[in-house]
Amino acid sequence: MSEGPLVVVDHLSRHFTLTESRPGFWGSVTGLFSRATSVRRAVDDISFSLEAGEFVGYVGENGAGKSTTIKMLTGILVPTSGTVRVGGLVPWESRRENSRQIGVVFGQRSQLWWDLPVRESFDLLRSIFRVPEGRFRENLAELDDALELSPLLATPVRKLSLGQRMRCDLAAAFLHDPKILFLDEPTIGLDLIAKDHVRSFLKRINQTRRTTIVLTTHDMDDIEALCERIVILDEGKIVYDGATESLKRRYVREKGVVVEFHGDPGVVTLPDLPTVRVEGEGAKRRFSVPVDSVGVATVIAAVAARFAVKDISIHEPKVGEVVKRIYDDPASLTRPEPGP
Amino acid sequence: MRDLPIYLTMMLAAIRAKMEYRVTFLFLFFALVTFYLGQLGTVLVVIDRFGSINGWTLGEMAFLYGLMVFSQSITTFFFASLVNFEGLIMQGGFDRYLLRPLDPLPQLIASQFEVSSIAHLVIGVSALVYGAAGTDIAWSAGKVAFFFVVVAGAVMIQGGVRLGVSAICFWTMRNRSLVHILVFSSKEFILYPVSIFNYWIQVFLTLVFPLAFVNFYPSHVFLNRDASNLLFSPLIQYATPVAGVVFFSLAYLLWRAGINHYQSTGS
Repeated sequence: MSEGPLVVVDHLSRHFTLTESRPGFWGSVTGLFSRATSVRRAVDDISFSLEAGEFVGYVGENGAGKSTTIKMLTGILVPTSGTVRVGGLVPWESRRENSRQIGVVFGQRSQLWWDLPVRESFDLLRSIFRVPEGRFRENLAELDDALELSPLLATPVRKLSLGQRMRCDLAAAFLHDPKILFLDEPTIGLDLIAKDHVRSFLKRINQTRRTTIVLTTHDMDDIEALCERIVILDEGKIVYDGATESLKRRYVREKGVVVEFHGDPGVVTLPDLPTVRVEGEGAKRRFSVPVDSVGVATVIAAVAARFAVKDISIHEPKVGEVVKRIYDDPASLTRPEPGP
Repeated sequence: MRDLPIYLTMMLAAIRAKMEYRVTFLFLFFALVTFYLGQLGTVLVVIDRFGSINGWTLGEMAFLYGLMVFSQSITTFFFASLVNFEGLIMQGGFDRYLLRPLDPLPQLIASQFEVSSIAHLVIGVSALVYGAAGTDIAWSAGKVAFFFVVVAGAVMIQGGVRLGVSAICFWTMRNRSLVHILVFSSKEFILYPVSIFNYWIQVFLTLVFPLAFVNFYPSHVFLNRDASNLLFSPLIQYATPVAGVVFFSLAYLLWRAGINHYQSTGS
């Protein structure tokens, strides 16, 4: 295998031509001959690369261009312009060969045979991907250990719960040892325990097999729990690509300090720290601390010096809140970072 | 064709999957047999009334009908998944076939088994046996061999219709009404000898939508009917295999163009 990134996306664009139908009967008749068209840039000149073993969150609002990108990376869709290399292959030119090195899991659609026992679906996939018998058995043993599949193998897929089905679908995607796994909403509709199960499996497989994982999700807790890197897409363009942690650091201008007092302290002010806002009433108050100018420890010390404090907790904004702020105001990313 | 064993494995899995629903299987089987017996009954009543249809006797009509249903049985066996191709496109299921190291078409063929194919087989074989017994066909080895070539050609024509109609989905997303008209209702045309229709309909059923090759033309060979009045040339009675290859190839070209369009528009 050649050295260098496993996936290279270079100035990739995908435009769709939309036809606008005119209203009324006459509109649909004339529409047969000529239609007004407009172009939508679903993916608009994006570039990034992925190293082997990376775990990347690929996020954006509905229609931001996430699944269009995934379709091009998996060879289902041909781009308007730009190139993609996955393990050295151009996916849409070598669709079949590419399919051997990728695994794809759609949260909403199973790739298993609905009416057959899980075990039979696995056997079929073994044939389809020509997995050697020995390798298949090793993989199944490992996946069984991680996902507790044994009790499910004899059950027809239609009788599985959503969480059980997702475990089986994840296993199915790994049977042919893909180098890259594309996950589309793998935790959608799952309860907390099932979500946790899926997340710990993904973490484990990413570490033990060094499988590159691209996770598309609306669940920011998934991203926070799993992805070291996050790529944020907005209207077809990449608006952020970098470490999940530094996104937080860059965006978190305020931290919250919630203080519970012994009894109601009445009016609470911190005269020495005028930039700190105080909210709430009664025995529990929240201090919003602008981290650029004031240290959280300073605030805690100032509060404790003046009042009888029962309990203190510090709230850091979650990735989800940060990403939401970016969706609301994408331009905020291009503004220069606030100085120290 | 080194992938053939994989497709066979998939086909067997599709059959096993259908067997999961034994009761549905039986109900559907009997419903279909009843439906086709009714259809056959209508034809028989007409013949009983008039003695023959355009010079075709009861036995000959049964043979004509049998050839249609028998070839339809095999068509259904291979192309069942193309009847609801619209659903596969709209719900994105077709993408899964593109994510495997195989060609999408044989995967589709191997992905679904329809009980109706067995019902058609029973009806078709019965009608053929009845028709063969009611006429004095001299079955030579050559005729038997030609029979199977004709069935292959007829399957390619009917499969071509399904493939072509499915391919349209790649542009329009929806094709349900076309499926109903072109795949199912169109069969009414070849329930009777095509010679009962006017010239232009016969031309249409020969050159544009070549269902006349499914049973009407080749029946002349088996039944030793006079072929001198057939459209274009008496040789047309032997042309079903050629018509099948040509029509299926055209449908396949449309299908390939459709997949390319799908991959380049992602509709």
